[in-house]
Amino acid sequence: MLALSVAAALAIFLLYTSIAGGGNPSIQPSALHSHPGKVQLAGRVLGPVRGDAHAGGLHFSLRDVNGTAAVPVLYRGSVPDLFRAGRDIVVQGQVREGTFVAQPGTMITKCPSKYSPKKSGGST
Amino acid sequence: MPELGRAALLVTFGLTLYALGAGAAAAWLGRRRLALSARNALVAAFFSTLVAAVVLVSALVRHDFSFVYVAETTSRELPMPYTVSAFWGGQAGSLLLWLLVLTGFGALAVRLNRRWAGDLIVWVVPVFAAVALFFSFLLVVVANPFETQAAPSDGAGMNPSLQNPYMLAHPPMLYLGYVGLTVPFAFALAALLSGRTDERWLIATRRWTLLAWTALGVGQLLGAHWAYVEVGWGGYYAWDPVENAALMPWLAATAFLHSVMIQEKRGMLRIWNMILVILAFSLSLFGTFLTRSGVVNSIHSFTQSSIGPWFLAFIAVTVGVSLTLLFWRLPLLRSPTRLESPISREAAFLYNNLLLLALCLTILWGVVYPLLSEAVRGESVVLGRSYYDFFLRIFGLPLLLLMGLGPLIAWRRASFRSLATTFRWPTVAALVAGVVLILLGSGSSIPGLVTYTFATFVAATIVIEFARGTRARKALADTSWPGAFSSLIARNRRRYGGYVVHAAIVLLAVGVAGSSAFQTVAPDTKLRPGQSMRVGPYTLDYRRLTQHQGANALEERAQLVVNRDGHRLGTLAAGKNAYAVEQQVSNEVGIRTDWLRMEDLFVIADQIDPNGTVYFRVFVKPLVNLIWVAGFVFVLGSVIALWPDAREQRRLVARSYAVGIPATT
Repeated sequence: MLALSVAAALAIFLLYTSIAGGGNPSIQPSALHSHPGKVQLAGRVLGPVRGDAHAGGLHFSLRDVNGTAAVPVLYRGSVPDLFRAGRDIVVQGQVREGTFVAQPGTMITKCPSKYSPKKSGGST
Repeated sequence: MPELGRAALLVTFGLTLYALGAGAAAAWLGRRRLALSARNALVAAFFSTLVAAVVLVSALVRHDFSFVYVAETTSRELPMPYTVSAFWGGQAGSLLLWLLVLTGFGALAVRLNRRWAGDLIVWVVPVFAAVALFFSFLLVVVANPFETQAAPSDGAGMNPSLQNPYMLAHPPMLYLGYVGLTVPFAFALAALLSGRTDERWLIATRRWTLLAWTALGVGQLLGAHWAYVEVGWGGYYAWDPVENAALMPWLAATAFLHSVMIQEKRGMLRIWNMILVILAFSLSLFGTFLTRSGVVNSIHSFTQSSIGPWFLAFIAVTVGVSLTLLFWRLPLLRSPTRLESPISREAAFLYNNLLLLALCLTILWGVVYPLLSEAVRGESVVLGRSYYDFFLRIFGLPLLLLMGLGPLIAWRRASFRSLATTFRWPTVAALVAGVVLILLGSGSSIPGLVTYTFATFVAATIVIEFARGTRARKALADTSWPGAFSSLIARNRRRYGGYVVHAAIVLLAVGVAGSSAFQTVAPDTKLRPGQSMRVGPYTLDYRRLTQHQGANALEERAQLVVNRDGHRLGTLAAGKNAYAVEQQVSNEVGIRTDWLRMEDLFVIADQIDPNGTVYFRVFVKPLVNLIWVAGFVFVLGSVIALWPDAREQRRLVARSYAVGIPATT
């Protein structure tokens, strides 16, 4: 009985993974050239950030968090509160003619720390 | 002052080390006085940890920025409640809170059970001490909350999205839950170590498990509500690794709370229960690890820190030692009774357990998959929302149905005829609800429709159970209806508290289905002041943009007038706060709750241009408020089940003695 139930659960699981294929690769800009398809791109925002996320789209670059390889990114849609040059973000999309075109509204920012210490800036 | 805190932690470290060594030796050799001394050391460890906690809190309150921790987590402008809450905001502080609650729970659980389960307690003390030793080691060696520096003029401040009342309560609730699961774990291991594998460890820890489980559940709902009103993307749960970190031990503990009843009543599932409690505790450690290590890509990977490897090592040791002990004691855990029929209360509990565990493990798989795929294939693959949604439906919907079936099926074996009688009216109610819902247009989402129908079925069984029980009590005791109702609950708090919790889960399921399957989403709309937009039955007029300098933020708000079907309902403001010290912006969403229709109008001012143009994202979320209502019902049910009941305790103790337990030593 127990074995039967476990087998059933396992069967559902395998069925799902075979149908849906499961997930997008999550990569950094340096690995983009070997992934022509849809990926989740993680990296650090390089300024300048130009454009309007709701009109023509937001233009910026993403580079490896611990590296120098970078790619220009075009993003449309909702921009999280924490988005800024120097922050680490994740976007979904794929490369089209040298530019990483993100799907609208897929941007996620990673908090650098729960309580981000003040690094630079005019005040103090 | 920092020296005092540091010294207190060193004392705690020494005391827990002693409690572990002396406690284990005493239990092994059967030395009563040594065991007593180990127990006292555990109690003393609580007080020395308390001293350290008081030092840290007073440093926060005094804005003593010579403490690195205080400078990194607070600032002068930060309101006082949030300043105090920074105690569990940073890594070192939250570990200190873990240790404080852990030693407190340990001292209390040992004290409450020392008389009638003394032979277990001698082993509980060293197990507790081992866990406490790990945390005090981290605090002494790796994450020192009492590091000092030349005091800067002001601190770095707190992340604005955490400056919310929910964040005062959400983390400590989760910690209460995580730490609370240590109690059943410690008693389970003590039962294995001592070889006293009867049902007493379950009786001793039932309320602890329930308390921890309730705290975990409430903590998650608070977190969900925080995400809903504060993070402002329009949802409340995103299957983020850190959210899953709390959900997994909760699911394992839910399975445990159910299967425990089978062991108490029928002596079955002894090995299974051991596995579940080990799993629940390991997952709570894993949850703390996920939250604190930043190993998984997550919207709140708080810190890339050095405690990760230590945690992984400790989890590995915990699982390894527990499973070794379990294998060693397998002969003692063989069950005297067997499952008699696949249609029985026992079997229903078993299905419930398998589904809960399947859900828990698929979530675990989803959480670790990016790491595993990175290790195996060299690239990290992330499983998205559709993965989790799929399994929530596949395992969650049968679970919902079982919640109605299980409590009413007879023990041992049930006949099909009796099932037909028992479930006649609930089935009719569910079918009627299904037909009405299709006529109302709910057929647009099949999973949503199925959830509503199943929920009606379960709700009907619960109502019928209460009605039947109350009628029986009234006939028996000849009292008023309310009197009969309350005496019904008082006589079997566990059962009826359980029904109330089930009702909460029904509300939760309906709320989740309603707000996800049947929500209306307006496309992003750009409005200038004076323009308006339509969403479902609502019309929103964007009047003007206002600015206001708050205590620590510049508050910008788009003022909207809300109309429904041509009637003016009132105003709504959505905008952003700009925090000067933290140099951050946070979304402040506008939510209009209609309690009659149980639906929310949810407005995000996604982008505010300098000329006053605003890009709005608007949702209409039906039934979402049932989720928060469910939270109150959940707590009510848990309190009913938790309420001290001397009669029940005596009965359980008497029964466990009747089974033949050696007198306590």
